This record gives sequence, C-alpha cells and structure tokens, in this order.
Amino acid sequence: MADGTPAPAPQQHSHHSSGPGGPRPSGPGGAGRPGGPAKRGKRSFVRKKKVCRFCVDKVDHIDYKKADVLASFIQERGKILPRRMTGTCARHQRWLTVAIKRAQNIALLPFAAEL
Amino acid sequence: MEERLYDLIFIVRPDTPEADTDKLIATLEHAATEKGGKLDKVEKWGRKRMAYRVHKLREGYYVYALVRSSHGEVVKELERRLKVADPVIKYLTVRVDEELKRKEKLQRHRERRAARRPRKPTPAAPSAPVAAVEPPAAAQA
Repeated sequence: MADGTPAPAPQQHSHHSSGPGGPRPSGPGGAGRPGGPAKRGKRSFVRKKKVCRFCVDKVDHIDYKKADVLASFIQERGKILPRRMTGTCARHQRWLTVAIKRAQNIALLPFAAEL
Repeated sequence: MEERLYDLIFIVRPDTPEADTDKLIATLEHAATEKGGKLDKVEKWGRKRMAYRVHKLREGYYVYALVRSSHGEVVKELERRLKVADPVIKYLTVRVDEELKRKEKLQRHRERRAARRPRKPTPAAPSAPVAAVEPPAAAQA
C-alpha cells in the first residue's frame, strides 16, 4: 500500500514537468493565436494565457465593414472561431459575432466557403 | 423624435456604367431628402470581389452611404427603391447610432479612468508602478 501510492506520483510528476516545456517558451509572442496548445493531456499544463486581442488594442467598437479584421476570426470554411481558440473576451466575442454576421449579409465574408 | 443613423450598403452589378450608378445615388439622395432624411456621406468602394456568388456574379460594385433620419419612412423608401432598381443585387441597412453612442460612452469612460489612474498607484508602490503606468498614457496621448 505504502509502496503503491508513491510510485505513480513521480510518474505523474515527470509527465507534468515535460508538459510545460512545450507551451511555456511561447510566452512573450502574441502570434500563436488559433490552435495554440495542440495536445491536451490528462494533467493541466502550464498553458500560455491567451488575451483578448481587442482588449489589448482597447477596441470600443467592432466595425462590420472591416472585413480583413473579422476574417482572422473565422475558419477557412467560414465558421466563426470560438473564444477558446482565439482568447477573445466574452464582451468582444459578442460584438464580434454580430459584426461577422452583418458582414456575411453583405457578402464581405462568406457564410460557408465555396468549393 | 430623436435622430437615427444608418449604414446603407448596396451592391450594383459590376457591368453597370459609372454614370448609371451616379444617377442611382442621386435619386436615392433626392428620395432621402424628400422624406426628411439625409445622406450624410456617400462612399464608392468600387469593384470588390464578393465572398460568395450573388445572382451568379462574383464581383460587385459596392456603394456605402450614411443615412441620417428621424423616422423610419426614409429607410423604408430607400430600401423600396433599392429593391426595385435593376442594377442593385444586394443591399443592407444597419442602424448604427446606438452602437456609436456605446462606443463614445466607453471612450469617455476609458479617458476618465486613464486620467484617474496615475494618482492611485503612487502611495502603494512608489517607483515601479509609476513607470509601468506612464507608457499607456503616452500611447493614448
């Protein structure tokens, strides 16, 4: 019993320590936005904290006419990227979805990518 | 009634002669003023590739206008005309004054907070936070 319990602990520990090695160095860079951490293990890694791009830029209004900005928040097929991918805060995501949907209506953005 | 602002975007067929587009804009302007509204600014974005095909067309000539009106009749009339006009393949009207109001409110809020901020951290930790606070203030100015 006493031997059994300590044994798994170091194993977990080794997993744990190997995990952060990957994501951590990417700390300062803000580029790696979508699909950041590829693998999600059983244990929680020290993941790079994603920050809302709009909050960083202090955006008070998301313009649906700026299709180039909105385009970076949709998938290739035209889906709106979820917050967990982009790190956008709740408020900005709310504005963003409305803006994207408006842009879709006037053919600035696709509803679904054509093949 | 209070004044409202609308974004009006419409797309005309790319093969429409420039003169016809101008004429269409002129009639819209006239219709708006007749109903007591106004086209505040008109921008011709020009030929753009559309994100999907509309009426089997891949490109369209985009025209943007900011409509100022105090009652819905203006927008109603403009939309009716756009619907009837043959070269127009798509249009969209979006009410924007409320969002602009919100934007201005947030901006004011931000400025007030920025003005207040330098005072707060000084008693807590004198040297380091002051240096940290100054760059954003400079960036805003």
